[in-house]
Amino acid sequence: MNVSKDLTAASAIPFVLAILKQEDSYGYAIIKKVKELTGDELVWSEGMLYPVLHRLEEKNFIESYWQGSETGRKRKYYRIKEEGVAELELQKKQWEIVHSALSKTWLKLTKHKEEFIYV
Amino acid sequence: MFDLEYNVRSWSDHLRRRGNFKESDIIELENHLQDEIEELQKAGLSPEEAFLISVKRLGNVNAISQEFSKVNTENLWKHLMVESDQTLSFGQNRKYIALVIMFSFLAGTALKIPQLFGLSINDSVYGLIYLKNLSFFILPFVAAFFLIKHQATWKMSASIMGIFASAGIVINLYPSFSPNDTEILTALHLPLFLWLVTGVAYMGLEWKSSRGRMNFIRFTGESVIYGTLIFCGLIVLAMFTQAIFFAIQLDASWFIQNYLIVYGAAATAMITVYLVETKKSVVENFAPILAKIFSPLFLITMITFLIVMIVSGTSPFVEREYLIGFDFMLILVLGLVLYVISARNPYDKNNLFDYMNLALIVTALIIDGVALSAIVFRLSAYGITPNKVAALGENLLLLVNLAGLAWLYFLFFFKKIDFIKIEKWQTSYLALYAIWLGIVAFIFPIFEQLHLNP
Repeated sequence: MNVSKDLTAASAIPFVLAILKQEDSYGYAIIKKVKELTGDELVWSEGMLYPVLHRLEEKNFIESYWQGSETGRKRKYYRIKEEGVAELELQKKQWEIVHSALSKTWLKLTKHKEEFIYV
Repeated sequence: MFDLEYNVRSWSDHLRRRGNFKESDIIELENHLQDEIEELQKAGLSPEEAFLISVKRLGNVNAISQEFSKVNTENLWKHLMVESDQTLSFGQNRKYIALVIMFSFLAGTALKIPQLFGLSINDSVYGLIYLKNLSFFILPFVAAFFLIKHQATWKMSASIMGIFASAGIVINLYPSFSPNDTEILTALHLPLFLWLVTGVAYMGLEWKSSRGRMNFIRFTGESVIYGTLIFCGLIVLAMFTQAIFFAIQLDASWFIQNYLIVYGAAATAMITVYLVETKKSVVENFAPILAKIFSPLFLITMITFLIVMIVSGTSPFVEREYLIGFDFMLILVLGLVLYVISARNPYDKNNLFDYMNLALIVTALIIDGVALSAIVFRLSAYGITPNKVAALGENLLLLVNLAGLAWLYFLFFFKKIDFIKIEKWQTSYLALYAIWLGIVAFIFPIFEQLHLNP
């Protein structure tokens, strides 16, 4: 099952920030990491990652630098900044709120169903 | 045979042609594509397959390009809009402040130049010449400031500066002789006419649009308020200077009259327009409040005046000076009404202040009607003079303006029209003022001369 487009878009920023928090990385590696983590269920149009990265850079959450790689090409690496870490914490909390609230509702729904069947 | 390198290059050239990418963006995307291709090739795919899949995974170039245009043009947009935004970049702001200082200095110096030729500003003989030309010392600099700030077209800059230059030449070519009736009229009307010309520089290419003109009306109102405040500050400074130097037995009045006030007045004008223009958002919060405080007060004063006039049965228009005084009051009231209109959101529902505005308009209309009848009476009783014709024209213009506004307000209250119609009508009407002011300033002196030397 593929995750819907809207949800994918909404989760892009926390994904990027969380991955960069572990280590500095570049676009292609970030995509690969996301695929690994989600088992290919979250399909990104890969090119769309870059506008997101640039926007994060503009918001001062991350910064970039160019570095040579083993292939001989120069790569643009991204590094998370303090503001980015703070933003990640904020987003984490928001996702947790949504997640726990949704979990509770679903729990109630299943209970309700059981009662209904029981009656 | 599939040429991988050629295909990758043509793919990135395709991106380049879209124009939304910076070169570094393209290198980044191309790197991504090549990483992906290499990985797929390692997994056993042919270069062609790897290329096609990678391109597909990167996604629709149009969509990416659009997303990039959002990110990159946000920057571009910021650079373009920087002047009207309060998030003015530091360098830009400094440039404008430098312009303000330079133009203040130039305007002040321009005021000093006639003195080099022996035309003292404090000599009453030359008073009228100075009065007539006063606007030429300030307004061209204000206009130039806006032309530079808005990066006006060459054509517009040339026409506006051309109008200033030709007005200056024409006005001073008219011979001057007693009793200087039309010269005084010119001195009174020319600054207003030139202010409207300056307005075109302020509005730039929007000068024909209703929105642009409404902005200009608001700008005018705010400039008057802030200019007055700053000028009061200047007076306080002058008095203070006088006082402290007096304490050490030095008379500073020579310096104050010749330099402090001259350069101060020039700087007041420049700083006011700069502040009102750049600190828009700060001013916008404050000025409508002023309008709301003063429109009820003016309404009460005018209604009381009308009642007293009717009850006591005395006409205030027997003396000529009062007639002109009333014209100024009507202009002030109209200015207040217009200012309230311009500060109002056209999509709001009608509220208390709209009714108050209508009441103000109707009261002004009645007073204008009384004034007009007095003028017509004087015209028929004492004959035609330039003064009376000018007053007649102004009062008629005001009458039509006020009546039109009142009528449109009624229609608005009965939900026949949108508020925007009122704005549109008023902004188109501005052109008539410009024409009449121009006629009084430039054509009246000619008529007077024809009349005196047939």
